[in-house]
Amino acid sequence: MSSAEAAPAATEAKAASDDLARLLARVAARDTAAFAALYRATHAVLYGAVARILTRGDASGEALQEAYVRIWEKAGEFDPAKGSPLAWMATIARNRALDEVRRVRPVSLEEMPEGFEPAADTVDPLAARDRSERLAALIACLGNLEADKREAVLLAYYRGFSRDALAKRFAAPTATIKTWLRRSLMQLRDCLES
Amino acid sequence: MTFSPDDDFAAAEYALGTLEAGERAALVARRLREPDLDAAIRAWEARLSPLAEATPPLAPPTDFLPAIEARIHAVAPASDAVATLRRRLTRWRAAAIGATGIAAALAIGIVGREATRPAAPGEFVAVLQKSPDSPAFVATVNLARGELTVRPVAARPQAGKSYELWIIDPKLGAPRSLGVLDASAVTRNPRLSGYDRSVVEDATYAVTIEPEGGSSDGKPSGPPVFVGKLVPVEP
Repeated sequence: MSSAEAAPAATEAKAASDDLARLLARVAARDTAAFAALYRATHAVLYGAVARILTRGDASGEALQEAYVRIWEKAGEFDPAKGSPLAWMATIARNRALDEVRRVRPVSLEEMPEGFEPAADTVDPLAARDRSERLAALIACLGNLEADKREAVLLAYYRGFSRDALAKRFAAPTATIKTWLRRSLMQLRDCLES
Repeated sequence: MTFSPDDDFAAAEYALGTLEAGERAALVARRLREPDLDAAIRAWEARLSPLAEATPPLAPPTDFLPAIEARIHAVAPASDAVATLRRRLTRWRAAAIGATGIAAALAIGIVGREATRPAAPGEFVAVLQKSPDSPAFVATVNLARGELTVRPVAARPQAGKSYELWIIDPKLGAPRSLGVLDASAVTRNPRLSGYDRSVVEDATYAVTIEPEGGSSDGKPSGPPVFVGKLVPVEP
């Protein structure tokens, strides 16, 4: 990506992010109109995050509702120094979905959420149009991982694959997957901190 | 407790989402007591969270906003549920007084002391006990914050064992862990915020004895040793 393309996208991402941060601040002050606006602006991304992990529609709806109740309660804890508002909110939603999917049963490769093509089960963050600086940096670091290992990280993050599910997917022992993940995560950390 | 590279990897896997249920629950229990681990989990969540903003949007099948708003507004004080709980408190006090015994009086004393703090709407107390004369833990719930605080009254720490708290309600199906309790200090647990207000209010809270660190499979290993229900702290 050239810097000429990146600059306007990063500026747009920053402006959208600032809008959400302002809404979150109003939500922290118990502003219900701001909460409704925040929901309208973000619910499709948060639903995208939970529905790719939970394969049942009712479970996804429940996780989404719980996530927004949590966002309402914790809005005052959002710290812009640690990431974007959308990243913070989507992380809350993901955690709800992961707690639920691990409680029930492992992710089944056969059960795709409605509207999902099996071929599209790996989300490609490169397709994101509005890239924050943090996302651009993370994408660059992910680019340093071998293709299989990058796919494993993305399947875990976006689809909630456990080590066992990844082992099945890559026809490798779970111990090998664990080693992959450990190396990949430490490599990502070193790359992000360099 | 020293923070090891294995702990950092566990934190990373928590944020990535690859831990199995038992490992995930154990880490959630540990982070409540280990600030280094908690900080490592937050750091890993922050490192990976830009991926979350790149999640392709997906329209939900229905508009969940009204349901979410209803849940949020349910956290407002002085609802019918509070009135119901007030009646339950009266009944519970009558039962406790009927049972007499020093410890029952002690339990009421604790409720009374809690009540003398500045009025906090949506604050409830459960005395977790085997019988009216043996309170073991007192749980305080702040519904507005979804926060649970559990303090030991007469629970004795057991070597090689942990006390684990569970929320039990027909709407939830199987008992769900609320984490391991510290038998000698106050335990604070934010996990209640994931539950519906009506479930939190009506649920039975139970404590089981588990292997050190908590149940490994996310299920209670035996019958509860202490149980209780929430009653409101009166203004």
